[in-house]
Amino acid sequence: MNDLIREARLFLGLRSALVAILGLFLLASAGVGAGLLEAQRQADVIRRIGPQQAGDVQAISDWVSRDKDAGNAAYYTFHATWDPPSDLAFAALGARDVAPYVLRVRALGLEAQLYEGEIGNPEALLPGRFDFAFVLVYLAPLFAILLFHDLRSGEREAGRLRSLEAAVGDGRRLWSCRVAIRMAALSLALALPFLTGAAVAGTAAWKAASVLVLIVGYLAFWTVLCLVIGRAARGSLANAMTLAVTWLVLTILAPAVGHVAINSAVPLRQGMELSLLQRSAVHRAWDIPKDQTMRAFFATHPEWAATAPVTGPFHWKWYFAFHQVGDQSVAGLARTYHDGILERAAWSERLGHLLPGVGVQLALHRLADTDPAAQMAYQDQVRDFHSRLRRFYYPYIFNETPFDVGDFAKAPAFQPRADGGRWPGSLVAGLLLVTLAVGSAGLARGRRRSA
Amino acid sequence: MSAALAVARNELRHLARSRVALTAVILVALLSLAAGLTSSAYQAEQAGLRARLQNEANADFEAQPDRHPHRVVHYGHFAVRPASGLAAIDPGVEAFTGNMIFLEGHRQNSANFGDARQSSLLVRFGQLAPALVLQVVAPLLLVFIGAGMVASERERGTLRQALLAGASARGILAGKATALGVAALAIAAPAFMLLGWLGLIGPARTSAALLSATGYAAYLAVWVVVVVAVSALATRSRSALIALVAIWTVGALLLPRLAPEGAAALRPLPTRIETDIAIQRDLRAMGDSHDPDDPYFAAFKRRTLAQYGVARVEDLPLNYRGLLAVEGEKLTSGLFDRYADEAFAAMESQSLAMDALSALSPTIAIRRLSMTAAETDLASYRRFLEQSEAYRYDLVQRLNWLQAQAVTAADDAAKGSDDGAEARSRISADHWRDMPRFTPVRPTEAAVVARAAPALATLLAWLAAALLLANLAAQRLSRSAA
Repeated sequence: MNDLIREARLFLGLRSALVAILGLFLLASAGVGAGLLEAQRQADVIRRIGPQQAGDVQAISDWVSRDKDAGNAAYYTFHATWDPPSDLAFAALGARDVAPYVLRVRALGLEAQLYEGEIGNPEALLPGRFDFAFVLVYLAPLFAILLFHDLRSGEREAGRLRSLEAAVGDGRRLWSCRVAIRMAALSLALALPFLTGAAVAGTAAWKAASVLVLIVGYLAFWTVLCLVIGRAARGSLANAMTLAVTWLVLTILAPAVGHVAINSAVPLRQGMELSLLQRSAVHRAWDIPKDQTMRAFFATHPEWAATAPVTGPFHWKWYFAFHQVGDQSVAGLARTYHDGILERAAWSERLGHLLPGVGVQLALHRLADTDPAAQMAYQDQVRDFHSRLRRFYYPYIFNETPFDVGDFAKAPAFQPRADGGRWPGSLVAGLLLVTLAVGSAGLARGRRRSA
Repeated sequence: MSAALAVARNELRHLARSRVALTAVILVALLSLAAGLTSSAYQAEQAGLRARLQNEANADFEAQPDRHPHRVVHYGHFAVRPASGLAAIDPGVEAFTGNMIFLEGHRQNSANFGDARQSSLLVRFGQLAPALVLQVVAPLLLVFIGAGMVASERERGTLRQALLAGASARGILAGKATALGVAALAIAAPAFMLLGWLGLIGPARTSAALLSATGYAAYLAVWVVVVVAVSALATRSRSALIALVAIWTVGALLLPRLAPEGAAALRPLPTRIETDIAIQRDLRAMGDSHDPDDPYFAAFKRRTLAQYGVARVEDLPLNYRGLLAVEGEKLTSGLFDRYADEAFAAMESQSLAMDALSALSPTIAIRRLSMTAAETDLASYRRFLEQSEAYRYDLVQRLNWLQAQAVTAADDAAKGSDDGAEARSRISADHWRDMPRFTPVRPTEAAVVARAAPALATLLAWLAAALLLANLAAQRLSRSAA
């Protein structure tokens, strides 16, 4: 205990170390602050949209209720869906800026609506967000390198190593105290801003605790790596270089190579192809006999087969039926596209088991429910809502029931999906295993060297 | 001069003998080559895919049977964003923008299926392209190689010896910088060769490739001079390394990421939903085409009747429904343009605010220059959206005019209830084949160069500032020896 206190005092006396810790603390605070602001902005947008949407529906109901045509109501009324930021989204904003978190749909073909983009400045998206995840994954290792690269070599170069170890007696104890103090300082510089943000955002305790595990685990990996490289007993400069190159490879180059490899291994053209196909499938209905469309529709919706047949050139029944049939005709492609995105994510997770930076990045976004899986879950939710919308309008359209002002309020209300944040167990296990592997490789090498 | 060359030769010999430095240079040069190859393969594949999809869309459009023109307005068309010539060097915002846009009447859709949205989170680590290597990786490698160039000689005492022996401090620094510059050239060589190939033989314009090459040369020169200057100013090689890594972290990593956060707060963007709702609201305020007594459309009717000198709609020589469609599309398109202009104005002021930070980070300046030359910046994306919107408007209005001219008012009115009228309201499929195709026009070479000029000027200013710093370092060196 006394050793720890002595080392803590020594550490606090080092100006450069204090500046580094303070720098990391400020960066983490800035990341948390920017993330909180963005999450709040997204929540505000969702809140703001409710009344505007209600006004829009009101205006439509004003004229639709004149002749009470359910077809017009179904055709013109948009329904809002939204995906609120989770209580941890502030720490890892992830895919929420490239994919919309608010989307309006109507009872027409969904495949022409589901992939709509959001208005965004692509130049602002390009460099990536400045959130807590960025500070932890990219910047924290650089600070760890700064504090650990000359742990022993610095003392040796200053000519103090022998006298220092002799004075303390127990060299191992001295170094473990030093390592512990530095690790603790780095962890606190990250954890304090994060916990403040978590308190503001009302993050669930288990998630906050999981992030703390990630912080400590990731710092432990870098500390072990620094110590292993430091054991090679070269100069501080060589240590710093080797570590920085490792950082460059682990956090910039390997993920970039992985991205290219995954995207070419799992090509995704289905999105654009299904757009073309769905459009043709929908509009083909105008040029083929109507009962061909209706038969295809009744095959999946037998409950309406007994309603009055479509005669004459136009009926809303037929119109909505061909939109439904259009969606059905590309269902296979849509599924492939959906699964392809998840498959790309699954491959990135496999990579994350080997690369700690990628692993921690993915783990944070899994916890925060802001990864591609969350994006697809929102899409599934929209799909589900859209089929409820169809089921709501079909009775009016097929039974030719008048659609009155009061009926607008009966439309299904969108239920945002439950928070899907999960404990990223296998990624954490991967981080732990890689850390252990690096540590034992270092020990084995050290032993060989001394033998 | 010859002294500087001797220093450079010496330093290069030293570099070639140091296995770590040589391996690093070769590895990053190989990486740059690999990045260039994968990136050009990807861009070539994208170009092929997009050309194929645009052809399919054209074929689908032209293969439509006899139809009522308004059906064709809803059938719509697709505009696919063509790949640009230098995207293999710098994909820029390509992944973050949609590539395909559905064009139809009454609606302005978004461009969809951008790569970022269908990729894993790895896309956020940066895209492997020569731009990433040259902008981010190469400077860090130069830092590693160069941080100790002067400082370690000072530690060993050889620097003082050389100065006392009469070598000029400026000559020494020039020599070191030349050696580091050679290393930089070696790293960048594959990317420069790719630039040359794209610009001379490949799909890119020579002026753009030259612009990009000049920019990257200036950018790397800034780093070379800064590294040597800091190495000369630092007392120890370790503090030089730490200072330079800190400069790199802030300049190449931190500021480019911080910039958008500030810019977004400065000019927030509306969401698509809010824009859609606002457009519908404005439209209703202008005139409600569903309301027979609406003042706007009543006035339009009066104007039209007066124009053709008739008293009743039935006496018009044209189908009034078609004319109404033309008028309606004019109204909605005006609003689309207005809201799109507002959104783009906000984005452009965001980008301007981000560019202002290039005074603190040369990486922001080279990124601007490189994306502009590659036509993968916001302006190029805006160009695509505006051209596709102009095409959409033109196509829809041609079809609306066909409705006014080639479909009789009587058939048009009865087509919903009378099979005969429905059949007569279909017009010949030849019309679809006569419609123009979407042929996006690239900006002129002069326009691209003019847009990139401020960034190039910023880089040159950076180079001048770096040379001043090096000069300062040289003066201090000479004084310290005296």
